[in-house]
Amino acid sequence: MRDKEKSKKLRELAESLVAFAKAKGADEAEISILDGYEFGVDVRMGDIENLVQAGSRLFSSRVIKDKKTAFSSSSDLSRETLQKLLENSINRASLANPDEFSGLPPLLRKKIDISALELFDPEIPELDSKRKIALAKETEKIALEDKRISNSHGASFGTKEIKTLFANSNGFLQEYVQTSCSLSLGIQAGGTDSKVEDYWFSAKTHFKDLETPEQIAKKAIERTVRQLNPRKIKTQMVPVIFEPMMTSWLLGFLFACVSGVSIYQKTSFLTNKLGERIANERITVYDDGLIPTALGTRPFDAEGVPCQKTQVIDKGILKNYLCNTYAARKLKLRSTGNSSGVGVSPNNFYLEPGETSPKKILTSLEKGLILIRTIGHGLNPVTGDISRGAFGLWVEKGEIAYPVSEITISGNLGEILKKIDIVGNDLDFRSPVSGPTIKVQEMTVAGK
Amino acid sequence: MKNRTSLTYKDHFHIPHGELQKILNIALSRGGDFSEVFLEYKTYNLINMEEDIIKETAESISLGLGVRVLSGEKTGYGYTNDLSFEKIKKAALTAASIASDRTIRNASPLSSTPIHHNFYPVKRPIHKEKLERKITLVKKAYLSAQNFNPKIKKVKASFIDQIQHILIVNSEGLVASDVRPLVKLVCVAIGEKEGKREAGFSGGGGRIGMEYFVDLLTPEEIGREAAMEALNLLDAVEPPAGEMPVVLSPGHSGVLVHEAVGHLLEADFNRKKTSIFWDKMGKKVAASQVTIFDDPTIPYFRGSYNIDDEGTAPKKTLLIEKGTMTGMLQDRLSAKLMDKELTGHGRRQDYASIPIPRMSNTYIDKGEYTPEEIIKSVKRGFYASKYQGGQVEDSGKFTFSVSSGFLIEEGKITAPVKQATLIGTNIGVLKSIEMVGSDLEFGLQTGTCGKEGQEIPVADGCPTVKISRMTVGGLK
Repeated sequence: MRDKEKSKKLRELAESLVAFAKAKGADEAEISILDGYEFGVDVRMGDIENLVQAGSRLFSSRVIKDKKTAFSSSSDLSRETLQKLLENSINRASLANPDEFSGLPPLLRKKIDISALELFDPEIPELDSKRKIALAKETEKIALEDKRISNSHGASFGTKEIKTLFANSNGFLQEYVQTSCSLSLGIQAGGTDSKVEDYWFSAKTHFKDLETPEQIAKKAIERTVRQLNPRKIKTQMVPVIFEPMMTSWLLGFLFACVSGVSIYQKTSFLTNKLGERIANERITVYDDGLIPTALGTRPFDAEGVPCQKTQVIDKGILKNYLCNTYAARKLKLRSTGNSSGVGVSPNNFYLEPGETSPKKILTSLEKGLILIRTIGHGLNPVTGDISRGAFGLWVEKGEIAYPVSEITISGNLGEILKKIDIVGNDLDFRSPVSGPTIKVQEMTVAGK
Repeated sequence: MKNRTSLTYKDHFHIPHGELQKILNIALSRGGDFSEVFLEYKTYNLINMEEDIIKETAESISLGLGVRVLSGEKTGYGYTNDLSFEKIKKAALTAASIASDRTIRNASPLSSTPIHHNFYPVKRPIHKEKLERKITLVKKAYLSAQNFNPKIKKVKASFIDQIQHILIVNSEGLVASDVRPLVKLVCVAIGEKEGKREAGFSGGGGRIGMEYFVDLLTPEEIGREAAMEALNLLDAVEPPAGEMPVVLSPGHSGVLVHEAVGHLLEADFNRKKTSIFWDKMGKKVAASQVTIFDDPTIPYFRGSYNIDDEGTAPKKTLLIEKGTMTGMLQDRLSAKLMDKELTGHGRRQDYASIPIPRMSNTYIDKGEYTPEEIIKSVKRGFYASKYQGGQVEDSGKFTFSVSSGFLIEEGKITAPVKQATLIGTNIGVLKSIEMVGSDLEFGLQTGTCGKEGQEIPVADGCPTVKISRMTVGGLK
């Protein structure tokens, strides 16, 4: 009951602030209010290290006057502060330049069925603190019982409940609550001067879908110990298998290159490529904001545009850029429901899986590298160039021979997309940007 | 902002000492060794210029409070951005829940100890400047990049300034406050030639006043430098690949010191023995030319502060002296558990974050060689000039992405090189430092460091440095 009253109060606050901005001279105004609760526990060496619990709120606004835009945000939700911020915004807008592409999205009278998205798990707010702490402890304990594990970065369990409320001067007023929970573990193996480390995690909107402490621990152990006693390899061109986490990393870079913002800014190598072949026929990529229970699902984006399923690449042909309203107007396209507030962000951005199992991909490889981790930066969307520090497993005759470290992989996203010759069947939506195992015909691996 | 002339915490937090004292006691109501309240009020302003127009401006306010309780190695933390006594009390009880001791102690009476230093003695505080003047700076940088050369096809310039008021009280009776300005002006220029595009970046700032952009670094210079880098990259060749001698440029290469050495000398990683340095205090970890400091007291620097985020006065800290590990960066928790002195390196992103040991301004001290001598000594190698970023793991493995560099051939800097990666392990590289230059410089005052999800401003520096062998990743 109290929740309903609180909700009503926040709704009234948002609506009255939209009206206030209009009354003070704004042509258009949008307000969003996030009201969240978080719990987090970090456990290390069997004991609690950090325990955090808190509620927090965030107000954000955009006002437009004479086609000039100003943003503001505040963690102080007193009406007095927010009204002052809106007044400041309207004054500040007059110092910006008019931009014919600015403005709120038109109100789409599209029915949004929020409950069908299953974003809220009633079990999460009810979880007992002791149980949450026990999950983290249990996960770490399983790993520490393994003699090969020499140290722990700790295990963490966290939950979040976030209410998103959104109102604008075109008459949009909607809210939804999204829950999430996550369990993770980071560990080390080997002696002081031959340490290797890795981690594993599971994150879900529903508690029942979360992987068990045993699954997380086993996977973290496997990922860590397989790196022990690495060798250096010579610089060479070889086929490279990307594990799902690495495909996800590559897709994160692809997202940056198909984002409508980088397209209109001409900072992407995929500018002016709509309708052209940019990958081979094995590659089909979607952004889908409506997959029930998925982490990147939301009913509408940060400017109130309903989310949708957008085909980005269809069998190698670039079909759509992912746009917020502003980028869409610049490019004479339509918003795809990808606004993050000021820019664009992925919903569930994924590479459609193929039919080959990861095991079969490995056995088909005569000689090459399995890419297991990358570190550092080294992505250039302007050119598509990639250069990253990497860790891998060397493969000979379809079998893992030994781990390799101190290598870098280099290539170009545009070329890689054309050289992916196998797409695996193991897509698991572990994160909002995700893909299955893939094999790239050839990449430069630099070593000694 | 109600009162711009007397910016004391009382204007923002409205919480009397007596109430804070009560909160500290509530936080200790289930036991624990230590309680603390951290109050923060921060305002932030942004101006973006793009496609020849001032496209948008933004203003943000962050107000909130965090309560921390330490009990042995455990930390309890609660925070709120609703500063009513009830909500603060709730945060304190949340933090308190970490402890369950039989003996309950009371917090000591609060008493202010004034600080007598100011590492940001600005003449013209930026938060008091009119927006129009900041817009002028952005326009100057933008136009300077755009007009530098017809090949520059696109420019973006942004100005960001913030002022952070903090007040810290703790159960040992400490009351400490700080008002920290932070400013940056950045510019990205994109050049185009024969269908090829490359981006260049530059910027400046720190805990500075408006005078900086007149006396030290003009917006025009920032714009020009971004444009020059983009043009350089248009002519750049693919990077070489393999092991070779590497020369690090002065200033910008400080990121290497930060990533490869600094992080692993943060006390928490050593207390937990996850850092490769945990058993190396007093031992030789680098070539004897190498001396490394972390200094939060350098005036106007981005990483500087009058007090750290636990209220401790910061100290210039010697980390490596002539190749031997001599120090670590401490926060309260690690210093207590390791029985070491505080160094004033407990920092946090904001009121919602637990303080942890962090770097401030980290640098390799100057050596004896001239940069010319160093470059002349390399027959064939790689000169790393600017970086996109770097990352290190506790195991000591690190990488750096070099956004622009040069080939060194027969002792001379020759063709520009783009997008290379340097990779290595920290002790391996520290021991293969062959020459350290006399030209200590600091990188752009625009850097941010992330650790455990917390972003904080930092600076770093170094002289020209030669590493005898290092793996360079490239296409050839």
